[in-house]
Amino acid sequence: MTNSTAFWYASRATGVVALVLLTAVLVIGIAINRQARVPGLPRFAVTDLHRNLSLLAVAFVGVHVLTAVLDTFVSIPALAIVIPFTSGYERFWLGLGAIAFDLIVAMIATSLVRGRMNRTAWRAMHLTAYLCWPVAFLHGLYASGDLRQGVLSDVALGCALILAGAVTWRLVSVARQRPRASRVAAELAAAERQPPAAQTGPGLRSARR
Amino acid sequence: MSGTRPLAQAPTAPSRPAGGSTRVLPPVPGAAEDLRAHYARNGQARCRGPALIRAVREAGLTGRGGAAFPAHVKLAAVAQAGGRKVAVANGAEGEPASAKDAALLYHAPHLVLDGLQLAAEAVGAAEAYLYTDPRHAGPVERCLAERADDIPVTLVEAPPRFLSGQETALASRVSGGLGLPTFSFARVSERGVNGAPTLVQNVETLAHLALIARHGPGWFRRKGTPAEPGTTLITINADGHQIVTEAELGTPLASLITDGAAVLIGGYHGTWLPMAAALTLTLDNQALSRHHAALGAGVLAILPHHACGLIETARVVRYLAAESAGQCGPCLNGLPRIAVAMAELAGPQPRRGTVQAVERWAGLVTGRGACHHPDGTVRLVRSALRVFGAEIRRHAEGRCSATTSHPALPLPPADALPLTDEDWQ
Repeated sequence: MTNSTAFWYASRATGVVALVLLTAVLVIGIAINRQARVPGLPRFAVTDLHRNLSLLAVAFVGVHVLTAVLDTFVSIPALAIVIPFTSGYERFWLGLGAIAFDLIVAMIATSLVRGRMNRTAWRAMHLTAYLCWPVAFLHGLYASGDLRQGVLSDVALGCALILAGAVTWRLVSVARQRPRASRVAAELAAAERQPPAAQTGPGLRSARR
Repeated sequence: MSGTRPLAQAPTAPSRPAGGSTRVLPPVPGAAEDLRAHYARNGQARCRGPALIRAVREAGLTGRGGAAFPAHVKLAAVAQAGGRKVAVANGAEGEPASAKDAALLYHAPHLVLDGLQLAAEAVGAAEAYLYTDPRHAGPVERCLAERADDIPVTLVEAPPRFLSGQETALASRVSGGLGLPTFSFARVSERGVNGAPTLVQNVETLAHLALIARHGPGWFRRKGTPAEPGTTLITINADGHQIVTEAELGTPLASLITDGAAVLIGGYHGTWLPMAAALTLTLDNQALSRHHAALGAGVLAILPHHACGLIETARVVRYLAAESAGQCGPCLNGLPRIAVAMAELAGPQPRRGTVQAVERWAGLVTGRGACHHPDGTVRLVRSALRVFGAEIRRHAEGRCSATTSHPALPLPPADALPLTDEDWQ
């Protein structure tokens, strides 16, 4: 394996891992948004997991783009990492990659200063995750043929299906959501139907949502 | 409007307290004074701007909305902030057992509006708001029309909710949103109404401030105790009536209340004390804190001998659970369970382990809300378990102290509880 093929392999490998990580980050983010429980984890740990996985994904994306530029087999200018459609090689599909990269950087940056940000602006930025993932996915699918064959095509398909399921669940859950103001009355009515002192567990976990 | 209070529909006439401690209330109870009568009685402010903030510090004025936070700290914080600033007089008074803000706005609205102008001027606010229940806005509106204030004052309707006076809920409502508490790392004095640094003071605090601007800190300290100077408005709930009166801090409780089985001090986020213990205490936080109690917004609610403390507490806790904003899990899920368990304790022959269940849930919700609603509710519940231990044993034997089903503590009717977002507007 020459120096050049090492970069090439590293770029492809980190790209695939980044896709898996970004999928996981998005799915966990949906779980946090819907206040769902992740089995075996307390809620604060789910938030931490979301944050740490996203930072890990950024690390992989970083190695992915750096090795792609350093790889001399095809020539990709460094600026093409951040400025879409400036690469001579695979202009359109690498352009999508640059868009996804910019969105990821913007999401991470706004989340790091979230405490000092307007919540609506932060949320608007964070919602671009739903744009970022498909763009990154198309980039992965067509910038090279790797994801379209063999085991990696199963990985790509798996990521897409899991995410589609999570997004569908989010939409259904929002549609079924009880208006905030009537939640308290519903909880009170439920507690009165079934006096909670009979329970043996910690008793604060709500079965009705 | 969905919320009406059975016991406080009309502002209560203040009774003249022993010792003649009236300062913010007029010495002779009556309708609102007009501007001329107000100035004839109170005179004009002599101390303004930064000097007033210093005077408030020397006077040792604390917030009369419940937290007893030093007023000058908030004033100085907003005064130091840059940019456009806002001042809000908080007369939301969501507490059903309190009627003192309503009484003050009815009897001395000009004093409150003076205080709001002086405080807004001292912190450099460009706009001012008076936030209160629309039922109490009438006299204030008439007074505003009489005045030629430099800083324009806008009336904002407070929703008839227990939590609407909470500072972040107030900031959200005055900004045009729902009157719900919000979670924010920034204090309201840094980022409040529409993101501007905001001074929020209870209407009574502003009335005291207006008097300090006239008579100075030395005069203010002539009443009260050295640690807690001045007078305070209190609402005494007894026999289904509410009486608002003004008393010096440090007044013996025995001169304000006499008979009963127990007294709830500080309101529905407050603490039950056995009457015998309460009668040995004075009306100040130094004395009350030794019995895990605090003055809060000045509520004293008497439990008569013919009532049952458990039944009363269970009713109040159910009300508090229903008044949760439903935003934080521990409050949304925990308070209804605590309320139902308290109802069981208040009923005949509660199951064994119910007290332990309440104690466990109380520990699980404390300190885990964006606002202090779960903490305050738990304070009331824990004090009830402490004070009404004998009653709990009586209920276990199938007996109860109550000889009447007539409720002793004031609460809004059950159909006034919030169901839609409009109820928080």
